[in-house]
This record gives sequence, structure tokens and C-alpha cells, in this order.
Amino acid sequence: MVKEMTEPKTVLMIDDDVDFVRAVRALLESAGFKVRAAGNGRDGLQLAKTLEPDLILLDVIMSERTEGFFVLQEMRRVPALANKPVIMLSSIYNDVPAFRVDPEAGWLPANLFLAKPVDPKRLLAEVTRLTTTAAAEGRQQ
Amino acid sequence: MKILKMAKENLDFFVSVLPAFGEVYAPLERGKGYVFERPSKWSDVRLKYTRTLLPPKKLMLPPRETTFVFDPDKGYQDRLEEASKPMVLFGVHSYDIFGLNILDRVFAQSKYTDPYYIARRKNTAVVGIDFEPDDKHLASSLNTDFVDSGFDLFLSDIGDHYLVLVGTSRGDDMVVMSNCLMTRPTGADFEEYKRRSMQRRASYKAHLVMEDLPEILEMEYHSKVWDEMGERCLSCGSCSMVCPTCYCFDINDEVQLGSRKGERIRSWDSCLLKTHALVAGGENFRGARSSRVKFRYYHKQRGFVAEYGRPSCVGCGRCVEACPVQINIITVIESIRGEHHGIASSARASS
Repeated sequence: MVKEMTEPKTVLMIDDDVDFVRAVRALLESAGFKVRAAGNGRDGLQLAKTLEPDLILLDVIMSERTEGFFVLQEMRRVPALANKPVIMLSSIYNDVPAFRVDPEAGWLPANLFLAKPVDPKRLLAEVTRLTTTAAAEGRQQ
Repeated sequence: MKILKMAKENLDFFVSVLPAFGEVYAPLERGKGYVFERPSKWSDVRLKYTRTLLPPKKLMLPPRETTFVFDPDKGYQDRLEEASKPMVLFGVHSYDIFGLNILDRVFAQSKYTDPYYIARRKNTAVVGIDFEPDDKHLASSLNTDFVDSGFDLFLSDIGDHYLVLVGTSRGDDMVVMSNCLMTRPTGADFEEYKRRSMQRRASYKAHLVMEDLPEILEMEYHSKVWDEMGERCLSCGSCSMVCPTCYCFDINDEVQLGSRKGERIRSWDSCLLKTHALVAGGENFRGARSSRVKFRYYHKQRGFVAEYGRPSCVGCGRCVEACPVQINIITVIESIRGEHHGIASSARASS
């Protein structure tokens, strides 16, 4: 999918927390991003396939507590989504004390993991950075 | 061998970490049965299952695969890279791990090794799990109800936790990556493991006497039981397709029309099929159904013992479940031993 340089970047949010989606949508839209959202992993994956967004914000705990991890695996198997920047946003490390597996340990095929609550400035900076990097890499190819 | 334990409630997290070791395949429910497939969410995974329709063989030796493509301009191009794609087989029962160990002997440890099989097996992590036998499992009779090699990790139910046996360094890597989920077992955990193991062994409903079977088969080569079997068997090949250790395959070159490019295809074959022993000139060495069905039994229960020291049957019960005319290995062996009178009558009695 080829996009014009001036076209706003699209961010897909897959998260079942309606309030959080509303807040992040406001933040990103004010910075010029176009935001689409899905409330569960299955719908999110479907939307990601048709939309091919510039970046995906993915929650972990939705209808199942590992749903985001499985969705991410599925995404990486879709050629059009295999290299899409994905930021995982989750409270899993706070909510589920049993799960202390470091996201930096190399098992998670996301570009970044941010624990909720997320610092809005940091989130905006990372979304901007990753969409810019991905666009630059796309132009080089 | 390192032994750890993991709370059952954390298994979903553990499986979330496994993709770091390859594409995860796990037992999922399909229709009335189970299959090894990629789960799209944790709740799809079935930890308590009887047996999958097809054994893990389908991933090590796919039903149909291109081994190489040929092109007069480019020569031969193998597909080894594709076959080397890492996989994780999660939730494999002990008899299926035994099945893989038997395939290893044939494809990875024999005189003529198979690079495609070896590539897949080497790059596939196996996480085993214990099971409760049903009325078709013969694993205790075949000594495949416990396995001590061929897996990276093996999970045994001890109540709220699984005892985790670490079988390889790759299994140890899995433990390291998910270290927070594993803890040290106590003496009470080991006692519980032993109690459940004994209980499980005692719970087998199906039994088969395997001692001296090769000799009995030798003596009964001309038994009329084989004729009865030939009358009953449909030669559909289902038993060998679902068998974890039936490995016969056929090779065909498929050439593109109007060109000299093509590919070499390997696909599953079965000694039950009429064409299996058909050769050029129309001669068929096993034209009679009775000879084909007899061959299968002799190869698995006698020939394999002579070659590898044990039968290639692992007691999974798939052949019993798949046979459309209810041929049951137990009644066949009992008939050969003279403990049953007629395959048909015994099969009817069991159906």
C-alpha cells in the first residue's frame, strides 16, 4: 500500500479499555495522526490486515490475559504486517505479579513495550519516532 | 535431568514466551477430534485431549512437500531453508514423542539420512504433557506411557502445578527465558508425581501382550486370520496415515507443461494401498488385500523389532479410532495368539 508523503500517519489501537482509547486518540489526533481502534484481538487483527496502518498500539490483557501476545504472533505471520512497528501497552507487569518475564529478553516481537499508565509525552515521542523510522526504511527499500 | 515446577495458572504466560523458539503448534479442538495447529488464542489450546487426529509426524514429514525444484537454467534448488523454520510442538503425549524418536532412527540415524526430516526435527522444540488413557490407549503395553528423551520439556500434572522435566539445553533456555514462572519442587511434589504415575499406569483399560509377539508372528505367517483380515479390510490406508511411525512415501516429478522446469514432490504412501507394491510391467508383489494388511503388521510388530529392537507401534490407538471397519489391533493380536476366534466376530463384539 503506497501512501502520499503528506498523508497523515495512521495508528491502529487494539485495546478494550474505552477510556484509555479515547485519551490516546485525542493525544495522537492533536499531533496529526489518524487513529482507528478495535476493542479485541480478533477485530484488531482483521482491521490491521485491511488498513495496513503505519503503527499499531496493542494491549495485552483483553478478553484473555495473554490475548495481545497471541495477536502479535499472528500479525508477524502476515507479510504486510510482519515489519509494522508495534508498541505494546499493558498493565500486565503490575496486574499479574506472577508474570515477570522481561520484555527486553528477546521473546516479544514488538518494537517497544510500555507499561500502563503511560506517560503521554513518551508515547507521542515513540509513536512519532517509530512511524518516521518505518517510513524512512520504506522509502529506502 | 533438571526438574522444576510451574503453577498451572501460569501456563498461558509460559506459552506466550514460546514463540521465541519457533512457531507454536498445540492441540486444538476441531469437530469431534483434536489437531496440532497454531493457536490464535490461549483458550483454543486443549491440555486434556485424548489423541490428535494426525500425529506430530505431519509436521516432521508433511503429507505432501516439494523437496526441490529444477530448472535447466538454474539447476536444482532445495527447500532446506523452508524446512529449517523453527517450530515448537506444545502438549505432545509421551507415545507421540516415542513416535518421533522412532522416526529419528529411520530418518536421522540410519544409513541413508533425510536432510528435510533432520532440519525440521533439529529446529523443532518439543514440550510434552502427560495424559489420562482412554479405552484405546495401549501406551502402557508398549512401554510408551513414559518417555525420557526426545523432548525439551515435559509437563506432568501434580495438582495445582506441573512438574517440569528439562530434557535438553534448549529446554533449559525456555526455563531461563520464563524463569520467574518456574520454582523448585519439594519432596511432597515428587511424592505426588510418583503417586499419580502409578495411578495412571493402573488406569489403562486396554492391554496387549507384546512379549514373544515376533516369534508368534513367525509361527502364524500362514494363519487364516490374515485371510479374514483381508476380507474385512477396505485397504483405505487410514491406519497408516494416522500412525505416528508409518513413514512410507512416494516420489513424483511434476514437470510444467511446455517447459523443462518442475519440482520433485514427496507425498505419503501406504502399504495398504493396492499400488504400493505395483511395479513396471504390471506385477504387484502384494496384490491381495490379505497380504498387504499382513505386511503392515509384520513390518511394525516383527520387522522393526529385528531392526531396531522394539516394535514401531507406540500404542496411541489412532488406528483403532480411524478404521472404518473396526479392525482393532488387540483382537488381531489375540486372534493370532489363538485367544480369539475370528477377527470379524471379535470386531463385531467390540463395536
